[in-house]
Amino acid sequence: MSSDWETLQNRSFLESNARARAIGLADPGTFTELAGPRCRLSSPHLPLLGEAVEFDDGIVTGVGRHGSRPLFIASQEGRFVGGSVGEVHGAKLVNIVRMAHQAYDRMLAETPELPEERRPAVVISFETGGVRLHEANAGLLAHAELMDQFQDCKGKVPVIGIIGGRVGCFGGMGFVAAATDAIIMSPFGRLGLTGPEVIEEEMGKDEFDASDRALVYRVTGGKHKYIMGDCNLLVEDTIAAFRQGLGKVLAMSYAEIDRLRRIGSLDKVKAQLRTLAALVEIAPRDSRDVWTFAGNPAAETLVDMKLDDFLRTVKRLENAS
Amino acid sequence: MAKKLRELTFELKAESPSALPTDFLHYGVVGSGDMEVIMEHQELAGAVRIIVRTPVAGFDEVWRRVLERFVNQTGMADARIEINDNNATPVVVTLRLHQALAEIAEGGARHV
Amino acid sequence: MSKKQWESRKADYQARMNAAAPYIHAGKVVAAADTTRVLEAVIRPFDRVNIEGNNQKQADFLAESLIKCDLEQVHDLHMVQSAVPLPVHLDMFEVGIAKKLDFAYGGPMGARVAEAIKHGKLELGAIHTYLELFARYFIDLTPRVSLVCAYEGDASGNLYTGFNTEDTPAIAEATKFRQGIVIAQVNKLVDKVSRVDIPGDWVDIVIESPKPFFLEPLFTRDPANITDTQVLMAMMAIKGIYGEYGVKRLNHGIGFNTAAIELLLPTYGEELGLKGKICTEFALNPHPTMIPAIESGWVESIHSFGGELGMQKYCEARGDVFFLGPDGTMRSNRAFSQTAGHYACDMFIGGTLQIDRFGNSSTATASRVAGFGGAPNMGCDAKGRRHPTEAWLKCGAEFTSQSEYLGNMPRGKRLVVQMVETFGEKMVPTFVDELDAWKLAQNANLALPPVMIYADDLTHILTEEGIAFLHKCGSLEERMAAIRGIAGFTEVGLAAKPAETRTLRDKGIIRTPDDLGIDRMRANRSLLAAKNISELVEWSGGLYDPPARFRNW
Repeated sequence: MSSDWETLQNRSFLESNARARAIGLADPGTFTELAGPRCRLSSPHLPLLGEAVEFDDGIVTGVGRHGSRPLFIASQEGRFVGGSVGEVHGAKLVNIVRMAHQAYDRMLAETPELPEERRPAVVISFETGGVRLHEANAGLLAHAELMDQFQDCKGKVPVIGIIGGRVGCFGGMGFVAAATDAIIMSPFGRLGLTGPEVIEEEMGKDEFDASDRALVYRVTGGKHKYIMGDCNLLVEDTIAAFRQGLGKVLAMSYAEIDRLRRIGSLDKVKAQLRTLAALVEIAPRDSRDVWTFAGNPAAETLVDMKLDDFLRTVKRLENAS
Repeated sequence: MAKKLRELTFELKAESPSALPTDFLHYGVVGSGDMEVIMEHQELAGAVRIIVRTPVAGFDEVWRRVLERFVNQTGMADARIEINDNNATPVVVTLRLHQALAEIAEGGARHV
Repeated sequence: MSKKQWESRKADYQARMNAAAPYIHAGKVVAAADTTRVLEAVIRPFDRVNIEGNNQKQADFLAESLIKCDLEQVHDLHMVQSAVPLPVHLDMFEVGIAKKLDFAYGGPMGARVAEAIKHGKLELGAIHTYLELFARYFIDLTPRVSLVCAYEGDASGNLYTGFNTEDTPAIAEATKFRQGIVIAQVNKLVDKVSRVDIPGDWVDIVIESPKPFFLEPLFTRDPANITDTQVLMAMMAIKGIYGEYGVKRLNHGIGFNTAAIELLLPTYGEELGLKGKICTEFALNPHPTMIPAIESGWVESIHSFGGELGMQKYCEARGDVFFLGPDGTMRSNRAFSQTAGHYACDMFIGGTLQIDRFGNSSTATASRVAGFGGAPNMGCDAKGRRHPTEAWLKCGAEFTSQSEYLGNMPRGKRLVVQMVETFGEKMVPTFVDELDAWKLAQNANLALPPVMIYADDLTHILTEEGIAFLHKCGSLEERMAAIRGIAGFTEVGLAAKPAETRTLRDKGIIRTPDDLGIDRMRANRSLLAAKNISELVEWSGGLYDPPARFRNW
């Protein structure tokens, strides 16, 4: 079992499925799946529309450990209906976060002096285009409930987002991801609100050519998001690297983790607005102009640069570090 | 009105059966052109009951032939199999079923 | 008796060039803005005209300029060109600039070709293979005016076509030496071209185009999209065919199946000890998926039909493998590479959409005149071949019905392999009773159904069910049984009789993965030497520069 866990660690996060990611993000042999395939909680809506179903409705939820912390894990499966949030999928996601802060409340009630490094944490591997259109009302509601849960976690349970799957994290879930305490991405990860295809459809190919993947990544990809400060840690594409990144965040005090948030306080909003004002000033025509503005004169070379060289040399926007 | 997801049920018996050596196994992802399967032990007097949920119509006979071959090749017995399909071709179905069995042989420890 | 005029072509050429003279400055240069006027000056109604373009590079600016010509002056042209993949190529027929077409490859415009024929807008000469069409440029389809493209040109007409030389030499030679007119669009007018690929006196007019010519990265396959099934079939190909025959010189068709083979050479091929024994020389475009095999030292030499977007720097840095000029850049050449593919390769392996119960295959559908490019030229036995190789001799020795014609005279045979899954996307069967090509022939009024590879040339079909060694069969009946035996759960396959298939396995005419000793459980993506484009870049040491649409970082 543990040798198997070892193999998972070296595996590409991008290539792995949601379950392998969930198992590999927890400590060896500690992951227990909740509401898994055995429960057969598939979508009640998709069959009526003649669409395929999945026993886990496209999300793996469960509990494991990270060091001395209980780790509540959700991992979306991008290959099933684009990782979209339907009713069951959403309920599983909302409830795994709810379980985390309920566990926190219980544990603190029992042991008021519980050291920080033993308190629960949440990690969500986002791989989703957002709401599942076939069951959009329930899916949207789940987005709102999830935001609520994040609020309930505030001051108690750190919520960490991970983005490294092929689908990326788009649509309403782009907002949800932005509301987490910290975001870890690989260069293959993508984060945004409106998906590239939708922008092209609405605004035309001249505005945004979704088939130009280099452009798509310059606007939504891990490296760009790291420079912008929309992601806190950029890691290699292995399960181990994501796990180490998670370890880095969870080794911090809650106060330190809270400082990683990109939004959520007046100061943060002011800082974002200052950056925005500065960017309007330079009127960028491409992400590369923003990178140059951030202090990277050879902006074009950043795209193909190896990750460790990138992390060593890149300059981020002022409010990013 | 869109057509509904179809559910097919097959009751098959291998020529030289042996019982499924596990309680429960889940394998696969319902990606496009792919499928997932649950295999469970169930006393069925040596038979295998297979339930297939698929959006595809017109291939019921192909499903029967593919599953018959699998059951005969593996000699599976006393098992309940549930498949969620999304346009998997016969080769993918066969591959995933065999991979699921291999996973059982390895103690359910592989995560592909 | 009037005196026979022997120089009418020359006089005609001179008259046309005189009409264009006002637009020509500084040697042979014409301003981009004058392009349409120049074309009106040199082209006459009913002329045979070539617009260069194949499945890779396109003289797109000249095509866009041609369609703007005044219909009074330019109409009913007979287009002779490798391919019609751009919308403008078909617009030309809609508006009446062009009337007749002889070509090789329709690509994405296949459906419009069929429509235009149906509505009487387009009169189809014939569908060719590339080399066959080039051959006719020198016999009965010589262009009067050719519109070609190049990276660089100078004022004397010298052209540098470099990495994407492709069809230019064949077109320019056929046109110019019959006193035709050659017009080139170049990406850049320069004082001195990097290398003379087309000599200046073969070219009449040079135009710097507003935009670089369009290049289609048609031969790039993202390893991220290769499936476990394709890995299984690639294992079968390497062990059951490449290794079995010791195939060293070959061509790979386009597609994910052959991409999977390329990516399995450094892993599975290495494990089988086949390095140096197979896949040493290729007639092949610079496939990015070949990078790991090249870097692992598998490949001695590759000659290319065309260039592949993003591979230029890599090819230049691997001079022991690719064909480089004295200036250090690669030169492709479709005519020569097709010749190499026909005469000097022991095997062609590729895919198709449909195979009928006799073994004829086609990518044509009922409503698309797609054409086959170069595949039929390599997917056939080269009857003029005389030099022996191990693989060619072995295949010939196994060719059961050869003695029916040759008595006891030994002769080799090219391996022609179709590698297909029994069902395509959305459960569309690959094996059919009758090819859609028959319906197309009827719909588009063709003289015969467009067949890519005829059954008598086909030696092997490889599916996930097994390999059928068709050339070993003694009769049509036996061939059909062998095809049924590997056609899986398609209608054709369901008609197979288990006992008959068993007999064919015993005779070695059908070999399943089990017969080949292949462990299906190993058939997954982890066997691929590179799993995505980013890993290909890594293998290349950063030399491969993938086109924007293939990047995922």
